[in-house]
Amino acid sequence: MLRFLVGRLISIVLTVWAISFVAFAIIQLPPGDYLTAYMAELSAQGERVSPAELEALRRQYSLGDPFLVQYWKWISGILAHGDFGSSFEWKRPVTELIWGRLGNSILLEGLAVLVMWLVALPIGIYAAVRKYSLGDYLATVFGFLGLAVPNFLFALVLMYLTYVWFGTTLGGLFSPAFERAHWSLPRLWDFLTYAWAPIIVLATAGTAQLIRIMRANLLDELKKPYVTTARSKGLPEWKVIVKYPVRVALNPLVSTIGWLLPTLVSSSVIVSVVMNLPTAGPLLLRSLTSQDMYLAGTIIMLLGVLTVIGTLISDLILAWLDPRIRHGGAR
Amino acid sequence: MVKRIPHPDAHVRAARSSKVLAALLSGLMLSAVPALAFEQAPMLDERVESGDLPPVDERLPKNPLVVEPVEGIGKYGGVWRMGMRGGDDNGLVAKTAAYEGLVRYDHKWEKVVPNLAESWEISDDATEYTFKLREGLKWSDGQPMTSEDIAFAVEMFQNPEYPANSNWIDIKDNPVKVEVVDDLTFKFIFDKPNGMLMDTLATINGTQVLTIPKHYCSQFSPDHNPDADKMAKEEGHQNWTFLMQQKCAWGWESQRWANPELPVMYAWRITEPLTGDAARVVWERNPYYFKVDAEGNQLPYIDGLDMRVSRSLEELTLLALNGEIDFQDRHIATNANQAVFYDGQEKGDYHLGKVIQSVSSSLVLQLNFNHDDPVKRALFQDKDFRIGLSHAIDRQEIIDVVFIGQGEPFQVAPRPESPFYDEEMAKQYTEFDPEKAVERLEAAGLTEMNGDGIRLMSDGRPARIVVDVIAALRPEWIDMLELMQLQLAEVGVDIEINNIDRTLFYDKRPSNDYDAQVWAGDGGLDVMQEPRYYFPSGEESVWAYKWQAWYTGANQQIAEEPADWAKEQMALYDELKGEGDADRRAELMREILAIAKENFPVIGVSLMPDGYYIAKNNLKNVAPSMINAWLFPEPAGYDATQWYFE
Repeated sequence: MLRFLVGRLISIVLTVWAISFVAFAIIQLPPGDYLTAYMAELSAQGERVSPAELEALRRQYSLGDPFLVQYWKWISGILAHGDFGSSFEWKRPVTELIWGRLGNSILLEGLAVLVMWLVALPIGIYAAVRKYSLGDYLATVFGFLGLAVPNFLFALVLMYLTYVWFGTTLGGLFSPAFERAHWSLPRLWDFLTYAWAPIIVLATAGTAQLIRIMRANLLDELKKPYVTTARSKGLPEWKVIVKYPVRVALNPLVSTIGWLLPTLVSSSVIVSVVMNLPTAGPLLLRSLTSQDMYLAGTIIMLLGVLTVIGTLISDLILAWLDPRIRHGGAR
Repeated sequence: MVKRIPHPDAHVRAARSSKVLAALLSGLMLSAVPALAFEQAPMLDERVESGDLPPVDERLPKNPLVVEPVEGIGKYGGVWRMGMRGGDDNGLVAKTAAYEGLVRYDHKWEKVVPNLAESWEISDDATEYTFKLREGLKWSDGQPMTSEDIAFAVEMFQNPEYPANSNWIDIKDNPVKVEVVDDLTFKFIFDKPNGMLMDTLATINGTQVLTIPKHYCSQFSPDHNPDADKMAKEEGHQNWTFLMQQKCAWGWESQRWANPELPVMYAWRITEPLTGDAARVVWERNPYYFKVDAEGNQLPYIDGLDMRVSRSLEELTLLALNGEIDFQDRHIATNANQAVFYDGQEKGDYHLGKVIQSVSSSLVLQLNFNHDDPVKRALFQDKDFRIGLSHAIDRQEIIDVVFIGQGEPFQVAPRPESPFYDEEMAKQYTEFDPEKAVERLEAAGLTEMNGDGIRLMSDGRPARIVVDVIAALRPEWIDMLELMQLQLAEVGVDIEINNIDRTLFYDKRPSNDYDAQVWAGDGGLDVMQEPRYYFPSGEESVWAYKWQAWYTGANQQIAEEPADWAKEQMALYDELKGEGDADRRAELMREILAIAKENFPVIGVSLMPDGYYIAKNNLKNVAPSMINAWLFPEPAGYDATQWYFE
């Protein structure tokens, strides 16, 4: 188990380094730089910015440097003193901007995942055990509906309906009084009164997929001889199913935990914009369009790092869940 | 010899005597010293009693500016709720709360009237301007505002290390020099005559000299504080310019709204700043604001502003429909939303007001006169070709389909509301006439056609024009271009619509990598200040990018000598800039316009229809009709300080 862990850790370091390089390269790909984007934006508002000011800013930000020089400045700052650079748009250290938003993302999307699993797993099990029953068909129909309706459209419809029916506007994650408060029980409650809508929206799409995967996995397992054996030994039916085949059927789900976070962040960007959620998605989108490169690069890199960590965790859980993997790794 | 500007008091006394005249002048900013005692907002009473704030008489200048309310005297209280998009939306803040310069425009955007300066004198040759500030002006932190603040701001703008830049303070051509006479008097001195200075000062650009208060910002400058560089490094910055930028910035840069400590002259000051994670920006009244109403009540009436920061225009639209926005037009008052907002008036308890756009044509097709391809260059510079294209456009169809019948066929020309309006210029070549179009195109040498019905250029290649457009900016551009594409195909010209990102759009200009670009018709009302389509005046004159480089001298590598008519216009405009007499300036502008009319450089489509704003029904003193422009900020130019909640 120790060798398994050490091996993983070494590959993690290399992967993260590669991610940092790719992340930085990607944000340099679009034409122009932050200042071109800045100028374009001002012109769109009817403002004017003089070429002299742009020249001065370009010099100040060292935007004229070659790619490798810029990359080296960035990565050495991170390694030396955890300095991820400054956001051009906000003139603030990047780290100041992203932690709160990333925290909101993880909280919100973590809750969405939780809801997704809580809803999807029992339904998936039910649908597999009671194959082709009325309940199975209902679950399938609703599941596919959830899968087929685009998230942002669902969010818009939900916003419109709450406006028409209840006369309130859905949006944001907190009421004004709690926006800048520290976490506390009342703030959590406030958060939940706002967060239910995005959680439902984010959870629906994934639910359908999970139901289908769980159902298919479990159907495969249910036919296997060990289930028949367990049943013939007189175990109660719920124990027969939950203790053995469900555990095995969970394998493919657990191994994808690592990808959940990046998938959720990227799939929730439009929902977050539409519902004005203070999460990492809109910040990433905005920093990419304004070519705020250190901010964008840092968010991309952190998402990469979280994916890597998520993968490590799912590997560990898998090893714990399934002895075959544990022993394979230790050999 | 100096020309004296009559003291505006004269108007006041005359106006007071006649109700009719007062009504006519209502909305004008008038400066007078009412004999009555000054009053303040109740929310400040407690702070004055506790000694935290000096009494209102001491906070106001000796001669506060009297704002004549649009409808009537208001009452204190309330919070103005609105929405903004985020860090890139500093323009909204500028237009809403930051229009406080030495002078300002009246509500018609015609006359320059006093603001922080109570009077001024202009030398006959327009090189020396002497301003007198109101006595006793104070920044929002209670510190006096003096001539030194103006001098310091100019110093910062002209500091080559500091990136602050302005279109009048530090231009190479004719930079301003400040001479401080005393605390209240200072002079702007120019080497060459600067006839347009008062107009520049009255625009939003004029507010720049009031954005870097000396008593607060000089601590970040090494010229005033030897430790400035050290201080910046301790905060983790490379040098002082970064810290200065973070704390003070200049003009209306986003960072200014992120620093609640920064002293301002605005009616409201920030309490919850616009930072990267802000969900709202909150403003509170500035207890030192220098304006009062006709009864001596210190303005503003409204206690504060609450700007919801939202990237979601859907959310802002719903908030407005739900009556949770008190006044707004930016972002949400789109063409597409109009019907929804109109229907929702009763339920949301708001009404729509009129917003006149300052742009002329809803779309300007700018063909690249300086194309690298000699065949295309010759073709695009051929007036017959452009006239042919113009006649081939069925403008009425576009107006009916895209703008639901609003607007009229219009070239790129001064708007009907403008004193420069010339019907002939606005309407020339706008009638839809395919036969005339073909005639003109053939006169331009496009006589042969290929098998697809596309006319052939002089070297045998088909006449295909790639038109760059940013659909994200104005979705209707794509609808318009798609119709134009069909219409032009009828006469044998092929248009390819190239919808691109704005960064790329701008990147293509210096590299001269475009056939044509599309933008709106800026300069419909601000004819003199925004002549980009009338002659190659600056970077936004995309139709002659190399010619404008020759004129401005900004980018010498790409500069190219313009055609004679354009050079004539440039000479006229240079003369205009130096001319002190307003009538003579207008005359010169008319000459420039006449040359533009004769040469017809860019193609317009339709007059930009009026926009609208949304105001809650209990919000009073809001002008029923406003002009939307960048130079003349809306709604701040309409004295939002005297709006109140009933």
